[in-house]
Amino acid sequence: MSVLQLCGVSKVYKGGKRAVDEMTLHLGPGMLGLLGPNGAGKSSLMRIAATVTRPTSGRVVFQGEDVVAKPNVLRKALGYLPQDFGVYPHLTAREFLRYLAAAKGISCRSATARIDELLELVNLTEAVKRPLGAYSGGMLRRVGIAQVLVGDPQVIVVDEPTAGLDPEERVRFRNLLSDLGAEKVVLFSTHIVSDVESVASDIAVVAGGRLLRRGTPEALLGEVDGLVWEAVVDPAAVPEVRARYAVSRLVRTKDGVRVRLLAPCRPYEGAVRVLPDLEDAYLHVVNGAVGYGGSDRSTPGPAAVAGGVAR
Amino acid sequence: MTRVLRGLAVADFKDRVRRPAYVVTLAAAVALGFLAVPDSGSRWVIMQLGDHRGVYNSAYVGTATALACGLWVSLGGFYVVRDSIGRDRRTGVGQLLAATPMRTWAYLAGKFLSNLLVLASMVGVLAATALVTQLVRGEDMRVDFFALWQPFLLLAVPLVALPAAFALFFEALPLLRGGLGNVLWFCVWVVLAMGGQGPGLPLGGIGVNGVAKSMYEDLLAQKITVDGAFSLGLTYLDEPLQVFNWHGFTPDAGYVLARTAFLGIAVVVALLPALWFRRFDPAHGKRPAGPSQGEASAGPSQREAPAGPFPSGFVDEAPYGDEATRSAAGGRGSVLALLRTPPEQGRVLLRLWAGELRILLQGVSKWWWWGAGLWVFLGVCSPVPGATRLMLPVAWLWPVLIWSRLGTQRYEHGVDGILGAYPSTHRRVVAEWAAGVALTAVAGLGPLARLVVAGDAAGVACWAAGALFVPSLALALGTLSRTHRLFQAVYLPLWYTVANGLPVFDFMGAIRIEGQPAGLPPAVVLAVSAVLGAVVFLTGAVRRIGTGSMRRLGTRAN
Repeated sequence: MSVLQLCGVSKVYKGGKRAVDEMTLHLGPGMLGLLGPNGAGKSSLMRIAATVTRPTSGRVVFQGEDVVAKPNVLRKALGYLPQDFGVYPHLTAREFLRYLAAAKGISCRSATARIDELLELVNLTEAVKRPLGAYSGGMLRRVGIAQVLVGDPQVIVVDEPTAGLDPEERVRFRNLLSDLGAEKVVLFSTHIVSDVESVASDIAVVAGGRLLRRGTPEALLGEVDGLVWEAVVDPAAVPEVRARYAVSRLVRTKDGVRVRLLAPCRPYEGAVRVLPDLEDAYLHVVNGAVGYGGSDRSTPGPAAVAGGVAR
Repeated sequence: MTRVLRGLAVADFKDRVRRPAYVVTLAAAVALGFLAVPDSGSRWVIMQLGDHRGVYNSAYVGTATALACGLWVSLGGFYVVRDSIGRDRRTGVGQLLAATPMRTWAYLAGKFLSNLLVLASMVGVLAATALVTQLVRGEDMRVDFFALWQPFLLLAVPLVALPAAFALFFEALPLLRGGLGNVLWFCVWVVLAMGGQGPGLPLGGIGVNGVAKSMYEDLLAQKITVDGAFSLGLTYLDEPLQVFNWHGFTPDAGYVLARTAFLGIAVVVALLPALWFRRFDPAHGKRPAGPSQGEASAGPSQREAPAGPFPSGFVDEAPYGDEATRSAAGGRGSVLALLRTPPEQGRVLLRLWAGELRILLQGVSKWWWWGAGLWVFLGVCSPVPGATRLMLPVAWLWPVLIWSRLGTQRYEHGVDGILGAYPSTHRRVVAEWAAGVALTAVAGLGPLARLVVAGDAAGVACWAAGALFVPSLALALGTLSRTHRLFQAVYLPLWYTVANGLPVFDFMGAIRIEGQPAGLPPAVVLAVSAVLGAVVFLTGAVRRIGTGSMRRLGTRAN
């Protein structure tokens, strides 16, 4: 059942830049991972979903109400964590959250108790007396997630939340999002495939402002089954390989360069077909939109081949 | 090296002139350019020699426009070119530049050149305005380009070189980097503009005296008796001025040298920070417990590692909701089980106001409070005339740096990213304004108490109107510009007219004639405040149309 619907949403900025182009997404409980390259229009779409940016055309519907006209309907039930956000540096986490709770219209008594619980949840209880200006990037993310939950939102929109976090903190953050996705509508954008791979059961791939594909990780993997190859090639041939195929990995070894690429049939003598992963599927979808591979893909390039390896 | 300087200066110049502040200041300067040469029947004037002015020929129009606008650009222009180093610090461009072989003095020279280019481009536009003005006024249609534009080169350019240099100098001093530097520049400018016109000053002051002397000589040669002295500044006239033919000013070598030396001083001031400016090394200097304003406004992903006394990794190593707490929460597995209290809706206006007040006053030093307390005490102790004429203007200058935060903080600290998705936009604006009113009232408490004790109802009404007006002005200008500087640049001259006893702009009831307030009636001040309030909401609506931001649509929806 759809809780939030983005129907034919477009966003055209000054100068004619079309960041989002006729995109339609229906969101129900669970986590939707929005995956796309830089400049794909993810952040614009997230801001539209969070009522921060008004779409040039299209409708955003929450519980039957058009929130382009009445944004407060969604705002009262929304938790939004933008890609970059600031804080008032001389306020403590508790003071900052109290202010935001008041902005959400939450009563004093319930706000006080809930903020204590939130600080406990994000493990900032012992840091509450410190001004936010003394917090690290990871701690500020935690303050950010606490403010997302201050109003017990039905819809959570988080834009590139793992950018700039160390690997451990990224894992913890993804796990938290996974927990949230069990009960709420979570829209989570990233350009890091492994972030989506580990938490989202539903993936939307966007590029050039358009929705290219939506489905489960399994469905996306199914599309690329049999198209992923690995081969070891001469280092001098790498530019040619990259020009002809979508290359998902390149590792220099003493025998040459081991490449992992997408091709509809065996690209080189000795190339070995391997099991696809989500990164390959993502490349397939994104590159498929613009086309990849040379005009004579079936022609192997023996001069380039140093040997094939199985993974 | 020339290429480096040119590259840095031109890039910085382009960035600066594409900002709205440049256009606003330029538009004000062009308007002032027309004001400097008013219609012959006008009752006001910018430049006069006693009861005379020159015929509007190229020499007179060029000189009057160059002087009036040179003074304006040297004041307003400072606030336009301010923050060039700060911006490099905030955006990280500074660290990129610091890692290049470019020398510190070259960096400063590039910045100075850029500042000078920005202000000189304004002077250039004004030079073109002068040509149009001469033709529009039509008293003398012969255009002598040399006489028309020479004053811009000799008078205006050296004058605007000073703010170009001091803007850099102040930025290189941590104490003057912020609002205090803005206030100090206004004081420096007052001294420069008023004191620099006198005779016998080193380097001829701001160069006016030589011009005035030339006018006197022409008047004497034409056997005209002058009643009064040379005056530069907006003056109301009882009668329109009489005219005389001024042939212009021919500078001698000494005058040109003095003007060049003025430029030289500006260059020295701009390059002086090379002695202590450590480029953008974040490890240099004492780190505060909280970051500087610039650092705080960066998003978490752009932030540096833990700063200040907070133990590194102290919290980051812990997961969300530790295992013990998870089990205590019922072993549901989800950390959300820790959230036991459902948020209930309630009355929040008072808490919003308290929150806005806390945000407004964040980081204010205890010395500020001691100062405010002193002004309250002295206001209470003063007799009514002293409380209104002296203590009230002092008390309502003291919070100028705090007022200037109104309407700007959420943008400067980057909190608008979060608040954009929050409801109650209208209520937050009202709460922010009310926080400003509270601050104004507390600062002016001493004179108010004195007026109340004296039963001076008219004085209390003026005080109350002023207490509503100042935060309204600050909020409107802060919302319009999203920076502190516009309010500081507007409020300080406004306050200065009041402090100097001009009743025409007295919004606080400071100036009295025969014991009664002689300034603006409280109803007028309240009406202006209401208009400013409307500007705040209108700005949101206009931005909504311009940028399509749904956040501003929420302002209407609330």
